[in-house]
Amino acid sequence: MSMFRAKKFDLGCFTNVRTLRDHSKRKAFEAAEPERQALRYIIRNTTLPARTRAMAQLQLAQMHCYTRPTQIRNRCILGGKSRGVLRDFKMTRYMFRLNALAGNLPGVKKASW
Amino acid sequence: MSVPRARLLDLLKARCELFSTTFNPEGIRTGNKIMRQRLKGPALASYYPRKLMTFRDFQKEFEPLGLEIDNEDEIDRLDHISELKARGKGAPKKKKGPPAPDPRRRK
Repeated sequence: MSMFRAKKFDLGCFTNVRTLRDHSKRKAFEAAEPERQALRYIIRNTTLPARTRAMAQLQLAQMHCYTRPTQIRNRCILGGKSRGVLRDFKMTRYMFRLNALAGNLPGVKKASW
Repeated sequence: MSVPRARLLDLLKARCELFSTTFNPEGIRTGNKIMRQRLKGPALASYYPRKLMTFRDFQKEFEPLGLEIDNEDEIDRLDHISELKARGKGAPKKKKGPPAPDPRRRK
């Protein structure tokens, strides 16, 4: 959402609207994480009164969806694709193949036996 | 030979004091699990690489030394645009002021 979007992005990777959105979500989650964890603690603590816990549940459910960690999706830093992204290299399998064959990834080499 | 429960609890209590853990023999859920978790926001937010240096910064660095560097990508882009404009296929000019009301539109 527009309120979470920074006026100026300092990203050095491939950007399209989807990577920018994902980046904004990551930032929003980072900012809201202490609050979310506090609410989660209140909800899980069975020694607290039931009313407090229910209110905490409501409050957590009403937080903006951008502050939710499940909204974050790893995207390719070279093409912005979301599917087939190798976590270790942050790129899709095809980009990984191209870069590995070109020798851009240290320590990666094609197996042959 | 069985050990009484009270004695076992005392042992547990002493152990908790020693290792500074919470004494919770009934296993009541206190939500400490959440408190023990580390914050993962900074790690998630630093997923995408930050901009290190742009070509313009690079040029600016070398300007006081009197060295000129050509940005080939930028030159290629400008060439392409001028070629398009020569063929009359360039992007239209930016409009100034609000658009005039459409005379065909009925109220």
